[in-house]
Amino acid sequence: MSSATTTANAVAATRRRHTRSLASQRRWALYGSYAALVVFVIMFLIPPFYTVMTSLKTSAEISAQSGNPWFAHNPTLSNFIELIEMPDFQYFFMNSVMITVVTVVVSMVISVMAAFSLARMGFWGSSTLATGVFLTYLVPASLLFIPLFQILGFLGLINNVWCLALVYPTLAVPFCTWIMIGYFSSIPKELDEAALIDGAGYVQMLLKIFIPVAMPGIIAATIFAFTVSWGAFLYPMAYLYSMDQMVLTVGIISDLVRGDVFQWGKIMAASVLAAAPPVIIYAFLMDYYIAGLTSGATKG
Amino acid sequence: MTLKSGITRRGALKLGAAATALPLVHIRTAGAAGKLTIAFWDHWVPAGNDVMRKQVQAWADKNKVDVQADFITSNGFKNLVTIAAEAQAKQGHDIQALPGWETQNHRELLEPMDDVMKRLISQYGEPDETEQYLAKWKGHWMAVPTSSGNQNKGPCARISVLKDKAGLDVVNMYPARDVRTDAAKDWTWEAHLKAAEACQKAGMPFAIGLGVTADSVDTAGSLFHAYGAEVVNAKGEVTVDSDPVRQVLEYAERLVKVLPADAVSYDDASNNRALISGKAAMIWNPPSAYAVAKRDAPQIAADCWTFPAPAGPKGRFMPLGAFMWGVWKFAANKSAAKEMIEYLMQRDNVEARCNAVDGYDLPPFPKMLDFPVWANVEPPKGTVFNYPMRPVHDSQHSIACSPAPPEIAVQIYNRGTLPTMFAKLRSGQSIKQTIAWAQEELEGFTR
Amino acid sequence: MADGTSVPIDAIATRRAPARRANAMQRFARRRSTIALLLALPLILLIAGLVVYPAIYAIYLSMLNKRMTHFVGLGNFAFLLKRHTFQLVIFQSCFFAVSAVILKAIIGFILAHLMHNIPSRNQRIWRGLLLVPWVIPLAMSTLGWWWLFDPSYSAFNWILNALGFQSVPWLGETWIARLCVVAVNVWFGTPFFMIMYLAALKSVPDQLYEAAAIDGAGAVQKLFFVTLPMMRNIIAITVLFSLIVTFADFDIVRILTAGGPQDTTHLFATYAFVVGIQSGDIPLGASVSLFMLPILAIAAFFVLRGVNRRSKEIAA
Repeated sequence: MSSATTTANAVAATRRRHTRSLASQRRWALYGSYAALVVFVIMFLIPPFYTVMTSLKTSAEISAQSGNPWFAHNPTLSNFIELIEMPDFQYFFMNSVMITVVTVVVSMVISVMAAFSLARMGFWGSSTLATGVFLTYLVPASLLFIPLFQILGFLGLINNVWCLALVYPTLAVPFCTWIMIGYFSSIPKELDEAALIDGAGYVQMLLKIFIPVAMPGIIAATIFAFTVSWGAFLYPMAYLYSMDQMVLTVGIISDLVRGDVFQWGKIMAASVLAAAPPVIIYAFLMDYYIAGLTSGATKG
Repeated sequence: MTLKSGITRRGALKLGAAATALPLVHIRTAGAAGKLTIAFWDHWVPAGNDVMRKQVQAWADKNKVDVQADFITSNGFKNLVTIAAEAQAKQGHDIQALPGWETQNHRELLEPMDDVMKRLISQYGEPDETEQYLAKWKGHWMAVPTSSGNQNKGPCARISVLKDKAGLDVVNMYPARDVRTDAAKDWTWEAHLKAAEACQKAGMPFAIGLGVTADSVDTAGSLFHAYGAEVVNAKGEVTVDSDPVRQVLEYAERLVKVLPADAVSYDDASNNRALISGKAAMIWNPPSAYAVAKRDAPQIAADCWTFPAPAGPKGRFMPLGAFMWGVWKFAANKSAAKEMIEYLMQRDNVEARCNAVDGYDLPPFPKMLDFPVWANVEPPKGTVFNYPMRPVHDSQHSIACSPAPPEIAVQIYNRGTLPTMFAKLRSGQSIKQTIAWAQEELEGFTR
Repeated sequence: MADGTSVPIDAIATRRAPARRANAMQRFARRRSTIALLLALPLILLIAGLVVYPAIYAIYLSMLNKRMTHFVGLGNFAFLLKRHTFQLVIFQSCFFAVSAVILKAIIGFILAHLMHNIPSRNQRIWRGLLLVPWVIPLAMSTLGWWWLFDPSYSAFNWILNALGFQSVPWLGETWIARLCVVAVNVWFGTPFFMIMYLAALKSVPDQLYEAAAIDGAGAVQKLFFVTLPMMRNIIAITVLFSLIVTFADFDIVRILTAGGPQDTTHLFATYAFVVGIQSGDIPLGASVSLFMLPILAIAAFFVLRGVNRRSKEIAA
């Protein structure tokens, strides 16, 4: 009897100890995860942090090299003010905005129409095309920029900022189409049948039903197109060189980095300003952003 | 004299030093009869672009021509990329600033400038021989040697550091007056190496780059010439496997050991940064580093002295960073382009620009080397007196990669083959391996 | 009789109706496919004109001599393969892509797990912070890295010096520079892996883990027998795409090292730029970039397989 009780007690104790140790194990795993995440976040944010810090320093402070370079000792916004007043920077910014807006609009129109056609209507060879669209990602810009240089030269578009409006959609359209095909396919077929019975044409169906229903997808694709055309580097690097035709990414690197060596405060300020639009959009629309990124994965 | 809105607004900007970074200028003149586009070299001395802009403005007003002037930086090879793109696309600026070998590289696409040169020569005499070598093809001037950006790239050293650490009194060696000193006779590459070693030991290395940009290439070129070493001869034969080249490499093997840890990744701004940050005893550079130091680190500028290159067995060679103004054959407004170039090359204009940049812009015409600016720049007074090549220096110009035929030389130059050979030594390869590598690389250029 | 006459008419009507409907269906289908084609036409033109045509044109260009005056066949390729510099480019491209992708996959996997461990209400903020490297335009963040690596002003070296270590020539020594280039790419690309893996982890049903736990599986066994098999597809796709993109990278190397020191960090893209645009040898530049094709073709094979599988799923 007594031995039985002790055994039972012992079993209960071990079980309790076990659960307790499991719980504490979980808690430690949680703390460990947080600790590791903190380390990663710090590592990931070092360059942006240092960029912002440098943008707040004067040339004199940078060149003096006295004290800790990781903090701005006499923070100033003068770099930003000078930049915003600088005509070159205004050119860069306006060109970037202009080209990005055109690219996003063009890319979205092309890819929404095409995705609707490929996902819902179909024609001879449409499934091959759907595959082919995706394969265009296997032909990267770094393979195409040299022949495109010749082609743009032939069209007289070298050193003309509008040549980017021609070539940027190739960067955005395939993936946007891909995202949209996924979203359109997930819309139940009953919906278009109902619409057809109501006498709606295909175009009306696209405008009135598909686009509103697939809005999250459209936002995700738009963000993608925006990010790509805002940040593209190789094409403007290869095709543009005049100050008034330049866009932000290349302009900052090839035209603000000058012989005059202590422009670094200004360069970093410019880079902060150039990074701001995508970061702001991301801050507000993070979920769409991530949905766009992962749409290839969750469906495939 | 009216400036249209854009310019006035820009002029009114209180940007201070930032005003230097106005690399694009539209100059519109009332009743303009034509349009001219120019690609100038973006000046490394902060005040360089402003004075150029003023002169262009004056000409545009007088001649009723709309001018668009781009100031294109040589950083990151931006100017070379631009020139190559324009040549390839057969469209672009009317006038291009062509550095070093680029005139020869694109001579088939350039408008002959014989008429302009004839008038300039009648006024100012023949240009420097090396300039002629770079600008002429089959007896025709394919571009006009300019002063804008035209530079000697000799040593610029910290007076106190060389004196204290290496026992070398550079001011005494090359004082700010036309004299031949005994000390100058001893200014050889061997002395250069000894000083480099001593300064490196003291933690103030010679910031000589082993990168692939112009500064690194030109320093290496001066060393090659001083030993009479040719990697490709005038006939276009690869002659890298030769005794003079081996001599250079033996020397370089010792020199690279005492260069900064980052020498291999240097670009044309790294050496300036090294000097201005007070971490280097000497750089090989025109006085732009000095000019910027004067603004950002005045105590360092006051300790700088510019002087001729050291001598080797075959003589003393001052690296020349030449600049020419060329007009494309496909330019839209050739006549205006020629007039503009001629105007900008008038003595008064050359001198005004030279004064604004602390003497950086060397006139290609030896007759103009009597400007007082080089004696007057301070502190310390006379710091750039010996920057232009003077007869007492017993020196000649060196254009890296000569006497190779231009179409090969331009590739050796632009790909930085000479300093890369030094970089190979630095990474521990033997002289034999380096020569074998260079042999293969150079054969590739003769393609 | 009215009824009698009415019957045949009705009968005819009902008998003719299917035929008319079939006709209408045909016309309808024809119209439908015409509209479909029209809607997809801009896409077709874009891809044909700005991707397919240039790609074929690149092959043609790569077979010309430098002045583009005559045809040299495969001469440019042979010339390149013989050059030590280009052999280095091949090596570096492969080293860069493979090592960066492996690191990104591993770190991304770890991060996804860490994220999965913490309560989901807290995940949003962490995810937000960790995704920042991916959001900033790559050219801009690389510029920031460059400034961190600058020989005279490196803030990393400041820390090292403060701790009593020597300064490191970040971009001045071949292997250090190569690792720096890889590091920047890993920094930039890891968040993408993390997000993909996190999405995949969330889609693994909890029951599987519970079942595994009942069978007495430990953490490692769960990882190898539940998590990894369930994520296999996503891992494969993510790695494949990252491999392509990393292989074709241009921005990082161009800004950070421009190919130096001694051309040892050049990738196909940056080398093609130097040769083709900067030195004006368009045919040779085109040949350089075409060396990416074999790798891309292999990738294409796997992608096609994945895409076919996906379209079957959509059809089903």
